[in-house]
Amino acid sequence: MASISIRNLVKRYGSFTVIPDLNLEIADHEFVVFVGPSGCGKSTLLRIIAGLEPISSGDLYIGDKRVNGVQAAQRDIAMVFQDYALYPHMRVYDNMSFALELRGTPKAEIDARVKRAAALLHIEPYLDRKPKELSGGQRQRVAMGRAIVRNPKAFLFDEPLSNLDAKLRGQVRAEIKALSQELKTTMVFVTHDQIEAMTMADRIVVLQSGTIQQYDTPETVYERPANQFVAGFIGSPAMNFFPVEWRDGRANLSQGATAVPLDDAAAGRLRQAGNAVLGIRPEHFAVATDGADGIAIDVRLVEPLGSDTLIHFDLAGVSAIARVDPSLRPKVGDRLGLIPQPGKTHLFDAANGQVLR
Amino acid sequence: MTDAATADRWIRWLNTMQLVLAGVLIMAPTVWMVLSSFKPSFEVTAYPPTLIFTPTLDNYVELTRTTPFLSYALNSLIVTAGSTALGLLFGIPAAFAVSWTRISWPAILTLAARMAPGTLFLLPWYVMFRQVGMIGSYTALILSHAVITLPIVIWVLLPSFDGIPRSVFEAAQVDGCSVTRILWRIALPLVASGVAVSAILAFVFSWNYFLFALVLSNGDTKTLIAAAFNFIGEGSTQWGALMAAATLIALPPLVLAALVQRWLVSGLTLGAVKG
Repeated sequence: MASISIRNLVKRYGSFTVIPDLNLEIADHEFVVFVGPSGCGKSTLLRIIAGLEPISSGDLYIGDKRVNGVQAAQRDIAMVFQDYALYPHMRVYDNMSFALELRGTPKAEIDARVKRAAALLHIEPYLDRKPKELSGGQRQRVAMGRAIVRNPKAFLFDEPLSNLDAKLRGQVRAEIKALSQELKTTMVFVTHDQIEAMTMADRIVVLQSGTIQQYDTPETVYERPANQFVAGFIGSPAMNFFPVEWRDGRANLSQGATAVPLDDAAAGRLRQAGNAVLGIRPEHFAVATDGADGIAIDVRLVEPLGSDTLIHFDLAGVSAIARVDPSLRPKVGDRLGLIPQPGKTHLFDAANGQVLR
Repeated sequence: MTDAATADRWIRWLNTMQLVLAGVLIMAPTVWMVLSSFKPSFEVTAYPPTLIFTPTLDNYVELTRTTPFLSYALNSLIVTAGSTALGLLFGIPAAFAVSWTRISWPAILTLAARMAPGTLFLLPWYVMFRQVGMIGSYTALILSHAVITLPIVIWVLLPSFDGIPRSVFEAAQVDGCSVTRILWRIALPLVASGVAVSAILAFVFSWNYFLFALVLSNGDTKTLIAAAFNFIGEGSTQWGALMAAATLIALPPLVLAALVQRWLVSGLTLGAVKG
């Protein structure tokens, strides 16, 4: 078990800088998820922690030890790869025992630890099989088993669920979370799936272009996004953004003359800024009982999900979505009045995208 | 009958003809060689050639009676096995290193060496080996034949190593393996069929190589293929014995190729397509 500390880390490939200057502290026993779009540097960062990529400059500490020049083999880190990376020629048992054998662990202890991990992951019946004889989900468990038996300082997961089907992904996601609570080990998990990030993490690192956009708990990242990028990336469907301005003593959409009903705090911030980008999550619209209230929209598309219904509409040149109660049963072409829920709107600086507080 | 069916029939017929032609071109000299080795000596060069004859082992008896055939065979075996082992010893780590580092120039260099005419190496080697008194030694022959075996091993194994997902090696690194251990414990078992194919190809090419043994060997270390050359004399050539020798020389590579022909094809294309 160990904390991970990254200080002023820079990673370059030739003249191309992937990570310009990154600082990050991961506490002991913490489950941290790196999330961001493709190419944001999240996997590179994970591989740097694992020792599979050298650091261009800066420092990396695992526990109290600076590990910049330490080989992956000596870092005592376990990693689960996207394609599982099991050893195809070895049985499941040998895949799991290999690292312990390399460390000279006594045979009896290896056996006990492999069997304990196999029981934990429900893979005991497959110990004598080769990886090619297993399903994707079973291979995934073996890959986790291979990590668990080592009792490492930290676990690293590189998009381990992306090759599983949707149902299995949900199941394994819950299992990894349960495992993290049971093992109480530092875990770093990379994903581009914000649902995985939200459901599993103690804290989320949202990355874009090798820069941390926000590092906080899932609740805070969702409720108080630091900037427009985070607000748009976390949440599904994504947050709606409308350019707004303070005009004639009230908030208006920048395009057209539609007034936007904002609570006092948000209205105050907009008045001060003059103009901004208004962010409203689809689930934070209320439907006005009287059609004349709120922002009038015409329903363009309806997606009934069962638990709720998504309404697509265009407003001030922006394509937007509202999540409403399924009992409403809206139809294409209906006119509805939408009211942003008080306290649930976000205002971002129109120039730099930072949240206005 | 439709046009398409006629075209299909023509294509099948042309394919068959092509195979027959290729078969005749490849097999005719071999069949001629084998048949001639069983003919009485005077019938080997008879014109027109005799197709009906009484088979005899006289040529083989003559061969073993007049030449130290078995000792030449042993020389061939020592040189071929030695150079194949040397090729594997250096070729396996070299191919792995090229695959691992993705620096390909060393592999290209060995290929260029293989493409170059043997005479390019022969003279410098002859001078060097003579200076250190190694002409006629097995060591000189084995070292010279490594020019043949090493590129084969490297170029057959390179796509095999490249075909292993990088993450498997990285998993081994994280598990605590050094690069050397990754080679022996992870990579090598995964390319075992490639190693077998490269070993067989190296063996066959080295066994068949003539030039180095002709110049660098002596009476004690002469290989079969160089020794067979002695049967061609200025005045008289022992055609029957020569055919018997050629048949026996060709036997090991043919048997090896036949035994592993399925592997050979898959081994040569290993890694071309990721599974």
